[in-house]
Amino acid sequence: MRGVFSRGSAKGLAVLAAGVLVLSACSGSGGKEAEEDTGGEGPRLEIAMVTHSAPGDTFWDIVQKGAQAAADKDNVEFLYSADPDGGKQAQLVQAAIDKKVDGIIVTLAKPDAMKDVLARAAAANIPVVSINSGQEESAGLGALAHFGQDESIAGEAAGTELGEIGAKKALCVIHEQGNVGLEARCDGARKTFDGDLENLFVQGSNMPDVKSSITAKLQSDKGIDGILTLGAPFAATAVDSVKEVGSEARIGTFDLNKDLIALLKAGDIEFAVDQQPYLQGYEAVEALWLLKRNGNVLGGGRPVLTGPAIVTKDNAAELEEFANRGTR
Amino acid sequence: MTGGKDAPLLRLSGVGKSYGNVIALRDVSLEASEGEVTCVLGDNGAGKSTLIKVVAGLHRHDTGTYEVQGERVVFDSPRDALDRGIATVYQDLAVVPLMPVWRNFFLGSEKRRGFGRMDVAFMRSTTHAEMAAMGIDLRDVDQPIGTLSGGERQCVAIARAVYFGAKALVLDEPTAALGVKQAGVVLRYIVQARERGLAVVFITHNPHHAYPVGDRFLILNRGQSIGYHTKDEITRDELTGLMAGGRELEELAHELDAAGSPAATRIKKEAETLNPADG
Amino acid sequence: MTDAVAEPPVAGRGSDERLARQSPLRRLLGRPELGALLGAVALFVFFSVVADAFLRAGSFSTVLYASSTFGIMAVGVSLLMIGGEFDLSAGVMVTSSALIAALTAYQFTLNVWAGVAISLVLTLALGMVNGLLYVWTRLPSFIITLAMFFMLAGLNLGVTKALTGNVASDSVRDMDGFDAARAVFASDLDVLGLRVKITVLWWLLFVVVATWILLRTRTGNWIFAVGGSAASARAVGVPVARVKIGLFMGVAFCAWFSGMHLVFAFATIQSGEGVGNEFLYIICAVIGGCLLTGGYGSAIGAAIGAFIFGMTNKGIVYAEWNPDWFRFFLGAMLLIATVVNLIVRRRVERTP
Repeated sequence: MRGVFSRGSAKGLAVLAAGVLVLSACSGSGGKEAEEDTGGEGPRLEIAMVTHSAPGDTFWDIVQKGAQAAADKDNVEFLYSADPDGGKQAQLVQAAIDKKVDGIIVTLAKPDAMKDVLARAAAANIPVVSINSGQEESAGLGALAHFGQDESIAGEAAGTELGEIGAKKALCVIHEQGNVGLEARCDGARKTFDGDLENLFVQGSNMPDVKSSITAKLQSDKGIDGILTLGAPFAATAVDSVKEVGSEARIGTFDLNKDLIALLKAGDIEFAVDQQPYLQGYEAVEALWLLKRNGNVLGGGRPVLTGPAIVTKDNAAELEEFANRGTR
Repeated sequence: MTGGKDAPLLRLSGVGKSYGNVIALRDVSLEASEGEVTCVLGDNGAGKSTLIKVVAGLHRHDTGTYEVQGERVVFDSPRDALDRGIATVYQDLAVVPLMPVWRNFFLGSEKRRGFGRMDVAFMRSTTHAEMAAMGIDLRDVDQPIGTLSGGERQCVAIARAVYFGAKALVLDEPTAALGVKQAGVVLRYIVQARERGLAVVFITHNPHHAYPVGDRFLILNRGQSIGYHTKDEITRDELTGLMAGGRELEELAHELDAAGSPAATRIKKEAETLNPADG
Repeated sequence: MTDAVAEPPVAGRGSDERLARQSPLRRLLGRPELGALLGAVALFVFFSVVADAFLRAGSFSTVLYASSTFGIMAVGVSLLMIGGEFDLSAGVMVTSSALIAALTAYQFTLNVWAGVAISLVLTLALGMVNGLLYVWTRLPSFIITLAMFFMLAGLNLGVTKALTGNVASDSVRDMDGFDAARAVFASDLDVLGLRVKITVLWWLLFVVVATWILLRTRTGNWIFAVGGSAASARAVGVPVARVKIGLFMGVAFCAWFSGMHLVFAFATIQSGEGVGNEFLYIICAVIGGCLLTGGYGSAIGAAIGAFIFGMTNKGIVYAEWNPDWFRFFLGAMLLIATVVNLIVRRRVERTP
């Protein structure tokens, strides 16, 4: 191997190959849809989004839908790729740089891993916008703008809501252990919640385990009167557990989906803290488009918050249509 | 077993087999009749295992004829041979070590009652009885067969073949990996099988094991027959001479003696115990 | 505990060594599941002491439910392991099976039972593909099923998104037949005043059937044989390929059942679920005394393994330990259970 390629170029090739694979896989659908849509003006732009999402995550699915909607409207070719591993995410960004895209949208869940590659983007004159996590580091790493929800602020909003529904002793159900964002939500909620908030870890990839763990916790501590889940599917499961144990606990959650709207309307779930992922995708693409078309920069160098928006029984009906479409 | 006594149970005439351009077996003839032990002798690489594979149905012969009870046959699989009553016991493929003795005994031919249930009590007692009939007193038919000695394991495999109605028993080096005493157990079992009226084909490289039990002797060397004799045509010494097994052992003892190795006396003793084996 | 294990054979040795071998106690000690049983008893006592809530009837039913969700899969996986093979696709196959049922029922607006049936056929076909690939290629099952794992994980996500536009299947809660199916796959039963999930009963039934197959049928004999020595088994006429394919399909059947439980317990299925669970099933089987190399083990052992896993998993919650340490405790408990198992087995093997 060494005799033929230097180590660097071999690695580069691998990155390139991975990039080409990912990009070609994504551009197939994006390109076709975008070509049909002639709503935008000027030459066609190419914008890549690289996130730290694991496959099959509802939240990132909605982010993509938002970004795609903006891209279709603006005659932008939208390319999506993701890898939860920081190093591999950086390689995907490098692949986008190699492809000479017109703009890059990244998440900064692991800022240190992204530092070098974002410097290379700057060197290549490719504007970068960050979304979701990493609002502290965003400007320092050279991103023009940041669209996201501050996890702590969202957590604080959830804590306030928990207090308002009358909970005194609540659970914060963490479905992915070691996820900084989820911990920050619980910490934020603890700040504004008057009662006692305890973390409960469940294995999010295994729904029966989520259910039996919440059930077990409710059985072992009858005093629990509030549950805060950090993802929509887990809230629905918490409802089952509460019914099973016959507990009085009331449930609030982060994120929305269409099943959750029904549960909100029925009163099984008290509130949902929506960080409006659709906005994160949509605004990021729009910001890059505005920059390229008109030289605008949004946010004045400070993070633009996309949430939290609180959804309760009162406004759930209004959102039903959007949630059914899979964009809320 | 009474009517067709005129044709031997197994007869190979002029059988040859080659793998690509390697001739493994050339023009070999062999007969095995009921109540007889036919020994196939030869050193490693003499073609013994090729011959056994042809007889067992694992390989097809290229030239010559293979007859079972006077009828020409070409086997496609060991199953075909088994259906004709030719059972082969391989040296290392005989048993599944972790399984109890009785499960091994009936493996592949389990006795069943309705609903796919096995008749466990029957299989246990039969195993015990069959082994006892062969002079092996099993402490527990439920013990894993891997805990038996090598000789006992061979005996289980042989007893199994006999029980399931084998007419011809092909034994691939059953005594090779065994100590003297263990080998004696297996040899006794071969005699018992013969007395039950089976045709036995006994493959070995040890003439001292072959001579006491054998009725016919086929000696192979480099894929060819270098002698095919009935017991009255050949003495043990001649057989040993053809095989040179015992002689080489003595030579080795001499060499080690000259080198002053203490192992020499042991090997000499072994050579002596082998020699008066047939009394 | 260990003294009691060591003593009887020593006492027996004085009189007659052969009799000692046949004593029922000795036979019990030789069972593959004994170590796991002792581990389970030890854990049960431990959690009863440290967690007040653990001994309540309701808690016990939750522990049983958690155990059953692992245990049902562990039945198929343990049989496959006794047959000498692994299935790394077992975890995502559960999700695939659930998605097949939920998606077909919803997309074609069928009675959910039609989805259940289609899922059964397709999931068994997946198991058969695993088995056929193994038999044809003669590659290690580790590689074949690892490839299947990735392909299924990709298909789960890709097909779900293509059909629904989302990453989860649409809810089948209000469709025809849902209530009946829920009664079969995910209902609660009242057993002697204790509310028990129906999966617990199914689990016990599967364990009984698997144990019967293993110990009392010809198929069981063949399973032990192909795992212990495939060449020997083939030489005596055991259809090795058919047995192995059947075992992979057995895992698929368990995956189908677990998948149906997911569908009718939760109505929507997240397409990314199930990843990593395959190792938990294998762990259950190993704690229960299955050899990683095949040819030895029992379905009852795997059930006890699943019970140990369920107890540890939920016991930590009942004991209200700091969740940050959850995985550490989980790992430590598993290690202890396995080591107890090992020590017992070694002691039994050492005594003549």
